[in-house]
Amino acid sequence: MALSMTMQRRAVKGVGNIWLFLMVLWTAIPFYWMVATSLKYDREIYGFDATLIPHQPTLANYVTILYDTPYLLFLRNSIIVAVGSTILSMIIACLGAYAIARLNFPGRALLARGLVFTYLVPTSLLFIPMFAMMSALRLTDSLHGLTIAYLGFDVPFCTWLLMGYFHSIPVELEEAGLVDGCNRIGVLLRIVLPLALPALVVVTFFSFTHAWNEFLYAHVFTSSDRVRTITTGLANFMTEDVFFWGPLMASTVISALPPVLMFLVLQRWVVQGLTLGGVKG
Amino acid sequence: MPMLTRREMLWKTGVATLAATTTPWWLVRSAHAQRRAKLVVWNTSALAPQVDKIIEEQCRAYAKQAGLKDNELDYSILGSAQILPKLVASLEAGNPPDIARVGTANAQVYRSQGHLLEVTDLVNNMNQQAGGLFPVALNNVMHEGKAYSIPQSVSPWPLVTRLDVLEAAKVEPPKTWDEFIEVCKKLQKPPRLTGFGPCLGLYSDTDNNVMNLIWCYGGKLVEADNKTVALQSEGTIQAVQLLTDMFKTHKIIPKGAISWDNTGNNKAYQSRQVIFVINPTSIYAHLADSDPELYKTTGLFPIPAGPAGAIEELTTAEWVLFKKNPYPEIAKGLAEYWMAPDNLRVMIEEGDGRWGPPYQGMYDSDFWKRPVFEHWRVMLERGRLFPHPGTQNAAAGEVVATGVLARMTHRVLVENWEAARAVEEAHKKVVEIYARHNAG
Repeated sequence: MALSMTMQRRAVKGVGNIWLFLMVLWTAIPFYWMVATSLKYDREIYGFDATLIPHQPTLANYVTILYDTPYLLFLRNSIIVAVGSTILSMIIACLGAYAIARLNFPGRALLARGLVFTYLVPTSLLFIPMFAMMSALRLTDSLHGLTIAYLGFDVPFCTWLLMGYFHSIPVELEEAGLVDGCNRIGVLLRIVLPLALPALVVVTFFSFTHAWNEFLYAHVFTSSDRVRTITTGLANFMTEDVFFWGPLMASTVISALPPVLMFLVLQRWVVQGLTLGGVKG
Repeated sequence: MPMLTRREMLWKTGVATLAATTTPWWLVRSAHAQRRAKLVVWNTSALAPQVDKIIEEQCRAYAKQAGLKDNELDYSILGSAQILPKLVASLEAGNPPDIARVGTANAQVYRSQGHLLEVTDLVNNMNQQAGGLFPVALNNVMHEGKAYSIPQSVSPWPLVTRLDVLEAAKVEPPKTWDEFIEVCKKLQKPPRLTGFGPCLGLYSDTDNNVMNLIWCYGGKLVEADNKTVALQSEGTIQAVQLLTDMFKTHKIIPKGAISWDNTGNNKAYQSRQVIFVINPTSIYAHLADSDPELYKTTGLFPIPAGPAGAIEELTTAEWVLFKKNPYPEIAKGLAEYWMAPDNLRVMIEEGDGRWGPPYQGMYDSDFWKRPVFEHWRVMLERGRLFPHPGTQNAAAGEVVATGVLARMTHRVLVENWEAARAVEEAHKKVVEIYARHNAG
């Protein structure tokens, strides 16, 4: 018996909702597990029965990381590096993307393609030559060195993304600005960037989360506690063949908060930026 | 701009290419020279933060004594998984630390690559102190009569045992593998409590656990000449068959053990799911803080004996001094200061059984008279390093790193191969590895 159109729609919607629910669980359960584990004692973490809700909730793991480890220092370092590389990436990428999108100069197409190729080179191939360069420039074991190293990934991607978005902005708007007396920088600041706000938000979010989560470079380029970031600090909770799960999860919970909060605040523009760029042309 | 001729173009391009390719090298060299205002120390983090603190305090006390200012010492504590990739990158860049602490096989690998400073005089001095060094600790740092690293600690892989379970059933710790199987069968209550928890995943602990069984049955990896591979033997086949029987017939090993990583056996023990594991004493030392109740009822016993006896695996750690060292005497002095028996004792005892001192005469303090350490010394005296009777080198390191014995174990346990066939395949692989390294 053929289903009516309404029934078919309801069935599709129902399946879609179930799928969506499963996806939400898929995403949320690891996060929940992380929070729950951070509130358990070792005995419960290692217990035979996995407990969804901590039997004896404790903040001991948070106390440990805040008072017995340099976690707050790592947090401060992560903020400095992530914010620093984000601001620098934004400035360089905006100028670069605008130049490639709007100005005519020899090698423009090659430069645009080069950006993509640069972004596609795996970091694991680059870390040893990068370390040699950083050593040569005496930039290892420093926050500004790490910030500069991150620009190597952030700038190509952000420039490439912004370039596509700038192409989608009608050039007539800029010409009107130029006719009214703006120079190129004025046009960029007063006309192009306000119109490209969703793309700027995406770029900001990308740069920040990349710098916040990055491990390999932070691990190789820094050694002392005074410049370590959270990701490398977390590795200290894995000693020999023993993992300190409680403090590890507590520090993961805290370090997950800034990107999550940032996404919640910028969510509207992020979604807009990711979708609009794809259809404008 | 005037037009360039083809010759001029080629000439200028050549100069530019030469400059571009050699500049980083020159910059590295000059940076290397410039950074040498500091003594750079990389220490691997310990299980207990207080141990890290003691080692750092001793380092700073020595630096002060040696006339270094605070800003002339760059001291870092690195996670054990962090230090090796960092060393690789820093050696490639020509900018290694001056002194670092590394685990069992690594010192000989760096020695074979020509990175390490010779420290024979220092090791000879150590060998004159506190009853001298254990032979295994001394031999592990030597090459052709010279020492290239400094023994820092040596510790066994005992049979870590749930004494509470044994005592409740009034059962003594097993002395042979046959007794071991019977005790496990008697005491286990699967799935919540299984007898034995060896690591059987494709990880290095599997190679170590399996090699331990092989020794008890008379097998070995390689002869003392470090060239003749000896894995394929009746003893090895018997040991692999024993493991297979424990897993398949007696069912005293959790099925999931074949997917465990190096932390799997620790987790199984800490979650009280197994009665016995074979592991370095990191389990015991960690329990002091994480589970004091289990800590009190954990015993460290010798490995059950097979036809060739009871033999434990040993783990060592070494201080290595890299050749590109502006202060070789200060770095050597630092190692000597750390290894002075009185200073070492403070660190070792704070580590609560994680490490043992490499000096034979340091086991007479009250700390080492605790019942749990009753068998420690005998285990050190008869214990072996993985390639015994061969010595640690790059080939032995590759055997462990590529999980040759772990793969052999999976052939039998997962793919149902005959033990003899799996051993033959593993033997060929080890022969290929040793031949490649001996060929240079």
